Amino acid sequence: MGRGYIVEESVEKHLANLSTVAGSCLSGLLVGHSSAQRDFVVLAVQTPRRESEGPPEGQRGSNPLDDTDVEWVSMHARQVTRMLPGGVGVLGVFLITPPELAKEAQSTLKRLVLAVDKYMSKTRLWDLSEDDVTDRVTLHICSKTRKAVCKTFDVKDPKCSAKPADWKYQSGISSSWPVVTCSVKLDLDIPVTDMSSENLEKCLKDGLKRWAKQIESGVCLINGRLALDDSELLSGPKKSTRGSQRHTFQIQILVSAEEPEPGQRSSARVQACSGSVCVRGTVHCRAYIHSNKPKARHAAQAIKRDILNTVSSRVEMLLEDLMNEGGPASGQQDLPRRVFAPLPGSGLSVCDYVFPDETPTDVAERLKEILEWDSSVEDIDMRVEGRILLTLGCRKVTQHCSDSL
Amino acid sequence: MLLTDDSTVIFRVRGMLDFSCQLDISNEKRGQSAITRCFEGLRSKISSESLVFLVCNSPVLLWPNKGLQSTVEHLTEETPCRDIHQYITVEDGGSKKASKKKERKDASVVNLKLLMEVTEAGDGSAPSLCVLTRRQHCARMPVSVDCVLSANGFDPLQTVCRGLVGALRRQLLDMEDAVLRHRKGSSLLVPQAFHFPLPTPGNLITVVYPAGVAESQLLSEREVLHRKYGLPSDRPYFRRANAFHFPDEPYRDGYLRNPHAHLTPPSMEDSKLYLVRGIYSYHHYMQDRVDDNGWGCAYRSLQTICSWFQQQGYTERTVPTHTHIQQALVDVGDKESSFVGSRQWIGSIEVQAVLSHLLGITSKILFVSQGSELASKGRELANHFETTGTPVMIGGGVLAHTILGVAWSAVSGQIRFLILDPHYTGGEDLQTITDKGWCGWKGPEFWDQNAYYNLCLPQTPKTI
Repeated sequence: MGRGYIVEESVEKHLANLSTVAGSCLSGLLVGHSSAQRDFVVLAVQTPRRESEGPPEGQRGSNPLDDTDVEWVSMHARQVTRMLPGGVGVLGVFLITPPELAKEAQSTLKRLVLAVDKYMSKTRLWDLSEDDVTDRVTLHICSKTRKAVCKTFDVKDPKCSAKPADWKYQSGISSSWPVVTCSVKLDLDIPVTDMSSENLEKCLKDGLKRWAKQIESGVCLINGRLALDDSELLSGPKKSTRGSQRHTFQIQILVSAEEPEPGQRSSARVQACSGSVCVRGTVHCRAYIHSNKPKARHAAQAIKRDILNTVSSRVEMLLEDLMNEGGPASGQQDLPRRVFAPLPGSGLSVCDYVFPDETPTDVAERLKEILEWDSSVEDIDMRVEGRILLTLGCRKVTQHCSDSL
Repeated sequence: MLLTDDSTVIFRVRGMLDFSCQLDISNEKRGQSAITRCFEGLRSKISSESLVFLVCNSPVLLWPNKGLQSTVEHLTEETPCRDIHQYITVEDGGSKKASKKKERKDASVVNLKLLMEVTEAGDGSAPSLCVLTRRQHCARMPVSVDCVLSANGFDPLQTVCRGLVGALRRQLLDMEDAVLRHRKGSSLLVPQAFHFPLPTPGNLITVVYPAGVAESQLLSEREVLHRKYGLPSDRPYFRRANAFHFPDEPYRDGYLRNPHAHLTPPSMEDSKLYLVRGIYSYHHYMQDRVDDNGWGCAYRSLQTICSWFQQQGYTERTVPTHTHIQQALVDVGDKESSFVGSRQWIGSIEVQAVLSHLLGITSKILFVSQGSELASKGRELANHFETTGTPVMIGGGVLAHTILGVAWSAVSGQIRFLILDPHYTGGEDLQTITDKGWCGWKGPEFWDQNAYYNLCLPQTPKTI
């Protein structure tokens, strides 16, 4: 029988509009939400052109599928994931090829799907749990007939063969998805053994992993109540999915320091350090869950993962930036702030991260480049996070240009 | 056991806090102030609005520093604290049913878990990352806080919560004290909290000790405590082993504690009960995967006695195995080396020798030439339990037993013996043990009227 994929109608239109140069191939990502019974696809994003690309693929003598840049697709997947709120992720890959390459396309799709998953799990602060769906979808579209073939691969089992899957179009899938939000205060002090760049990064990662464990095992309150894991989030009669309001749930997270291992040490663990890194401030987190009888634990998991993702993404971005400028300097650096923009047709928000010197226009450019989406600058909500900026020594309060309060 | 009236509720809050501080290795004084600052930081966390108490086994969460915000509407500042019980779902293990009757007199314990809220409403400051370069030692340890508060059931919830917050702050001060006092350079010992029951019923005193420091090194601290609470200096009250055992916490080693407490004492006219003091573990045949059926009874009685000395704080030595016991007898020259690994019986003399050699305990030996004479030893046994209170090993005929107490009438001389029988081969099932009399009250006819008996009465050293 296989898994079922419910796909937003706008995705069908988008895929239909993707045209290829004769004989060439086109890859992209499928984005959506995964649940135990079925998956929902809300977005299809074409892989952007890599700047260092040689002549367009169709003109090469060899098989264009072999040229598929698996690494580039994976990197794109990471960038796309950074722009997604919790609960929404890269569910798989699509490939548009000429009819003669249809058969080979399957093995390329498998390679892509496994590589993307591997790449993304490298930098994640959390691990997949037992009830996570590990099937990823692959969609092959023939450029001539526009016929689509949908299969899944289990990324937990690289030797597996493709399983058939159901691909169905529907409209307004995500319009009634409940959204969970919270603002998390960060107060981390991470010791650094020596200040070389790679060691700093490693210590930071270890420190974040420790913090991540606290968040993951934290108690989660939904709208001020402690709910049992399997209790239903949406009580009451099921309203029709069309035109109904999106439920918002406020989350609170309560943590405890980790229990010491058995065989407890009787003295403090002391490390010689040459410095430390502090991460402070408040981050805004948001996640979506499906509307078909969602349980409290789905909401808790989705928001917790978003909390971990948003912090690790920002730290990664800052470090990448600093490495380009010759390594991290002492003193305070602003971490990028999170901004949100609505995804048309789905009512979901996507996000981006801005450094202090960036503007809404920069955001719009990135949204276009990575998500293929023309947003208007007014739609971008820059005010979600931290209006108060603290700098060393003096206190600076800034308000945004679009001061339409 | 804590004896209190029905309306007392004991609130216990426990939690883990992360102690993490940078020690300037070059400067001693700065190291001290760094530690103090770190504890101040923990204390301000306790006083912050982010502090949350989770009532265990319930959906109730309380914010004690936020005017007692809670997750349940009906619980407000003025709610009598005993109302908390309505929200707690009691875990019903099968074995608990048997003990529920006897523990009615004990105060109920409400367990709370300490948590910190990391989410907040409204805007916070923008996130930033700060890199500091400074050569230092980073010391990190998990600190486990554990506070108790005894309240009247009608006390308002707000009072209880404020009291717990105060207790937590005071405990962190005590912990800061303990860490600074026992510090050696950048070596910091983990502070641990213990609750000790005092003779005054209903009172628990909380003391902080550094982990890993032997009891012998903490003598002066105990002396201070004995003086402070006006306690005699002839027996321990503040050794870690003396810590109060909360009724809802199972013993992890699997041995039953004080099975005699679940028995109904005999009703004899003009008689009084003279029972063992404190806590012992029931040791019997076949435990610890040692098949000593038929020969190990005295060994097991000795183990019960050792467990008593350990749990009353007289020794840190764990209960010796059969092999340890046999080796001890070889070491004092009482037995040949071939004794170790054998299945030879021992008697009260050997029990006395082992107690002396392994635990440094002296014992009195009482001899009766005939079992029938035991009935006349009421005064002596009553006196032993009243003044010393240790379990008594009795060997004679071909059997060894443990006497845990007597019911004795000074007027009529009538006597009953509270016997703990080491010949039991079953599992740790309290119901079976009490129903079938493996721990039970016996009359004088229990003894072999013609055999001679030796009793070993262990003495307690005058120490704290």
